[in-house]
Amino acid sequence: MTENKIQFILNNQLTELTFAENLNSTTTLLQYLRNNTPFKGVKEGCAEGDCGACTVVISEFIDNSFQYKAVDSCLIFLPMLHGLSVYTVEFIETLYSDQYHPVQEALIAHNGSQCGFCTPGFTMSMFALHQQDSQADRNKIEDALSGNLCRCTGYQSIIEACLSDVFKNKNQQIEVLEQEQKILLESINTKESIVIKNLNQEYFKCFKKEEALLYLDKYPDTLILNGSTDVSLAVTKRHEHLQRILDISSVNELKKLVLSDEWIKIGAGVSLEKLKNFSENRLPILFQNLTVFASKQIREMGTIGGNVGSSSPISDLLPVLMVLEAELKLQSIKSDRLVNINDYVLGYRKTLRNQNELITKIHIPVPKIGVIHQFYKVSKRKDMDISTLSAAFELKLNGILVENIKICFGGMDAVAIRVHLIENFLIGKTWERNNIEQAQLLLDDIFNPISDARSSAEFRMIAAKNLLLKFWSENIV
Amino acid sequence: MKNSISVLHDSIKKHVSGKSIFIDDILLNDNLLHARVVYSNVPHAKIKAIHTHNAKNLHGVHCVLTSKDIPGVNQMGPVIHDEVCLASDKVECIGQAVVLIAATTEKIAIEASKLITIDYEELESVLSLKDAINKNSLIGSVRSMNRGDIDLGKKQAKHHLIGQLETGAQEHWYLETQISLAVPSEDDEMLVYSSTQHPSETQAIVAEVLGINKNQITIETKRMGGAFGGKETQANWLAAWSSLLAFHCKKPVKLRLSRDDDQKITGKRHPFIFDYEVGYQSDGSLVYLNVIQHTDAGCATDLSFAILERAMLHNDNAYFIPHVHIEGRAYKTNLPSNTAFRGFGGPQGVACIEFILDQIARKLKIDSALVRKINFYEEDAKNVTHYGQKVEYNHLHKIYDQLIKSSDYFNRKKEIENFNNSNEFYKKGIALTPVKFGISFTTTHLNQAGALIHVYTDGSVLISHGGTEMGQGLHTKIAQIASMELGLSMDFIKVGATNTSKVANTSATAASSGTDLNGMAVKNALDQIKDRLIPLAKELLNTNDEIVFENNYVGILSNKAKKIEFKKLIQEAYLKRMHLSASGFYQTPDIGWDKIKGWGKPFNYFTYGMCVSEVQLDVLTGYVKVLRTDILHDCGKSINPNIDIGQIQGAYIQGLGWCTTEECKYDSKGRLLNYSPDTYKIPSIQDIPLDFRVELLKEVDNPLAIRKSKAVAEPPFMYGLSTWLAIKDAISSIKNHQVEPEFKIPATHETILLSIDKLKNEI
Repeated sequence: MTENKIQFILNNQLTELTFAENLNSTTTLLQYLRNNTPFKGVKEGCAEGDCGACTVVISEFIDNSFQYKAVDSCLIFLPMLHGLSVYTVEFIETLYSDQYHPVQEALIAHNGSQCGFCTPGFTMSMFALHQQDSQADRNKIEDALSGNLCRCTGYQSIIEACLSDVFKNKNQQIEVLEQEQKILLESINTKESIVIKNLNQEYFKCFKKEEALLYLDKYPDTLILNGSTDVSLAVTKRHEHLQRILDISSVNELKKLVLSDEWIKIGAGVSLEKLKNFSENRLPILFQNLTVFASKQIREMGTIGGNVGSSSPISDLLPVLMVLEAELKLQSIKSDRLVNINDYVLGYRKTLRNQNELITKIHIPVPKIGVIHQFYKVSKRKDMDISTLSAAFELKLNGILVENIKICFGGMDAVAIRVHLIENFLIGKTWERNNIEQAQLLLDDIFNPISDARSSAEFRMIAAKNLLLKFWSENIV
Repeated sequence: MKNSISVLHDSIKKHVSGKSIFIDDILLNDNLLHARVVYSNVPHAKIKAIHTHNAKNLHGVHCVLTSKDIPGVNQMGPVIHDEVCLASDKVECIGQAVVLIAATTEKIAIEASKLITIDYEELESVLSLKDAINKNSLIGSVRSMNRGDIDLGKKQAKHHLIGQLETGAQEHWYLETQISLAVPSEDDEMLVYSSTQHPSETQAIVAEVLGINKNQITIETKRMGGAFGGKETQANWLAAWSSLLAFHCKKPVKLRLSRDDDQKITGKRHPFIFDYEVGYQSDGSLVYLNVIQHTDAGCATDLSFAILERAMLHNDNAYFIPHVHIEGRAYKTNLPSNTAFRGFGGPQGVACIEFILDQIARKLKIDSALVRKINFYEEDAKNVTHYGQKVEYNHLHKIYDQLIKSSDYFNRKKEIENFNNSNEFYKKGIALTPVKFGISFTTTHLNQAGALIHVYTDGSVLISHGGTEMGQGLHTKIAQIASMELGLSMDFIKVGATNTSKVANTSATAASSGTDLNGMAVKNALDQIKDRLIPLAKELLNTNDEIVFENNYVGILSNKAKKIEFKKLIQEAYLKRMHLSASGFYQTPDIGWDKIKGWGKPFNYFTYGMCVSEVQLDVLTGYVKVLRTDILHDCGKSINPNIDIGQIQGAYIQGLGWCTTEECKYDSKGRLLNYSPDTYKIPSIQDIPLDFRVELLKEVDNPLAIRKSKAVAEPPFMYGLSTWLAIKDAISSIKNHQVEPEFKIPATHETILLSIDKLKNEI
């Protein structure tokens, strides 16, 4: 066990941090960079992962290659970085001796910056995309930059910068860098778990599932942290003191994705971005869902286990997993069990999970041929916006008759909820508009939605009804 | 020398590499203290007691201040002194500052703020504009503007229409939240790094609060991470608070608002309600317009009257209306004081008339672009506004003709109709809206500017002027102006940080006037220096011919060989003991405005432009995609087309946000619900038009501004309205344009879906 120390690489320098006064385990990467290093290009715009002004790039050596991801440094607690490599905007120009990095050159050439406060963040999102994809089209560009807000340019110049063949422009320097990085990363011990006890806080970071389960068994009230995209807000926004944290973000056993004939088995630690890419051709409903799920920066960090674990009523994933009849593997040091996700959610942020259990896997049955799936999200803004409401559908038709249908709504109640009343009403009926219109009326009996910052109850009800009709209209026999 | 050379924004290389220094990046030693504001959590109450004891005793806390600790005047009101620096006996909105804390770290300051308790006795409060109208909680007097005779208009007009339009608040959402860093020095001197659009006023407020002379206070502003009007007056608060703490602690104090605090406590764009009646003929031409404009000033006056005035001055937009009566009413509510925001009331006034014309077109079944065209100001007749200013150098018809053609408006309109006839669940819409925007501060005395130029003996030039850089490229344009006036390449020219000790008594960088005013002041200073240099050049070159400054040389036109390097000339001038600095000044000529009568010539000139937007609406979810936007805009002879186009694109998208996704909702206790980007949605990269075309109008030199250019900044904000009305057009197509849809700003998915629902239930 290592105590009170972590190691990571910052702009190609091996960095060791010892946690003491003013540097506790819930200090964010953003706070550290701005207060403790010369790298002040990174900016705080919101401290909640919505604006991307604090975007940095993390690289990790996985499966024999370096993978780069743009992340919001405001959401990352320092110990999560152990064994990883971090780049800030100050570094990337050093890869080119006589000019700026191509993404910087493109922003300059296309006037892609005005006040400049958001620019380092955009630059780093573009740098990550530059490493990931040399063929990025407008869709991919928008996807990669949807977590970066700019209030000056109106984005057009930034899109033009990205479309200027910038991602094809590569040099050899990055390979030289990666050789150095590999040696540095190998020098960091990523086998022994780390405990940080400082300022009345205990932070436990482990690399094996068993260690996590043991810790959880010993301290069932511990806060479990994986992607930290939700947990960190307790610190950055609500200024809460978190007493005990179990960090499972480096447990590689939880990051496996296995496809068999009948099941897609997803480790709870699989990032939403990885899942999105995986599901593109294999599970279109999940892809639809993840395409409008937060921003790329958030999806790179956020995990399926974390999203299901928090079981928010406006979780984007839950309605989809509910119509897919996904199963969760809940594991403790003593036992493990599989539960259907429809039984898992009990109430507002209440679930079947016992405190000493960890969600380790999510099993999704491979969809049968001939079954139609669809997901809709209604939000004020298309991307990087939490659902006002959402709905997921599964439909099996037999000719013009509904053989089976599953419908789940999010955002209409304290939990995401299957509408069995409507499902049962439609099963056996003809797949025709008048039946849908009757089904719409049943929603009045089922839901009594709330009015909040996102919308009124009246709107939620109208939109929910419309989603039934929308699903029908897009799947007319 | 030509205008329109493509010069990069002077900071862009620093921006992309993270080297630009914002206030939060300024390095200071360990003496720096971090501040926190404790503000009211009730909208209206008497303060019974403030308990600071526990906070003061927290280790690391240096200072806990209340209104009793203010050595000068407890006031921060910029125009009218109705805004206290720290609440003493009562609070008038949630977010009003009561206590200030300085501590060794931000974290300790936050901990200390949790230990402050304030006892309140709550009072009745006014929490919406509608509530304010009902209670008639007027702030100041009712204003009016009149031309013609409404009663006569009523007799003349064939058709009449009565209606109401609501426009919502808008949060500035500058990426850099409000920030100030105050550094005390000997005596009572204070150097304040402030993210302010108005350093001179910031200086005045700090001096008043500290009870000392302005000559003790220096405000410096290098750059702002966006401002948009939000830092015109309310940046003063942060400067005053941080200075107050620095004054007491005798240490530098930095105060940076968290995003949530910034959204909760600072003011927004003014919400408006327009009650209008209008008359028109069968061809769509307007006969009379009778409007009452109601606006929510918030809990203090701030700039509300100037904003209301500009809304009234732009209620005509691009249209000649024979008989006009506009009444303006500003109300006091128990919400944070609303403030300047790009357009400054103009967008609200323009929205009103555009909304009216849209309705008239629907009623008459005439294309709305044609209804607009028939009402445009003309060149020889119908060319005087409702406040008596002649509309000169009018490009409206020229722009209309070009844009209708380049946007292929009428063909697309037909295609849209076909699309709508064959689709039930998706509808398209299109709209053209113009803008005519008056350039000048309507408070006439503000139309002045100063500059200070130093030419050093190596030939390099340092420019200081009163304008501030907030990303709009002002310093770049100023440097270009100097480069062109001196015939000197840009690498000799530097524009320094805005500093009140260099140029005094300046106006805010606002009203789109930064380049117009400061550019002229800089030119004035440069002319003085040139006037001193010319006789020397003549002497050295042994000529009586006209001297020209170009390509880093000073010479004569007739003989290209007869020239002296600028640098060399400056060295000669220095040896001759010549004064190589100059202070420049400018006041906009020929303007004058009688606020009381509502009559005169408030503006130096008008800027014109038009926008066509096409949208696709998902009828079942209310989701809107902007398919294409075409803008043709008049920047005169642009000094920097790249910067101007960037301003236009950015302004349009900001206007689009105001019209669509940006919404401020308050609960019944006056608490803002959308106080973070989690629920307050400015446009993201996926919200911009799929096809976005911006062109500058060609061959339109403007004789009335620096180097024949025109101001940009605010006018293109109003192009968002074309998208707003395109959405309405799409909704309206559901009932085949037979029924008037309910509509307002912002047209959120909720506004849209409720409007559609109502339409569908119409028989």
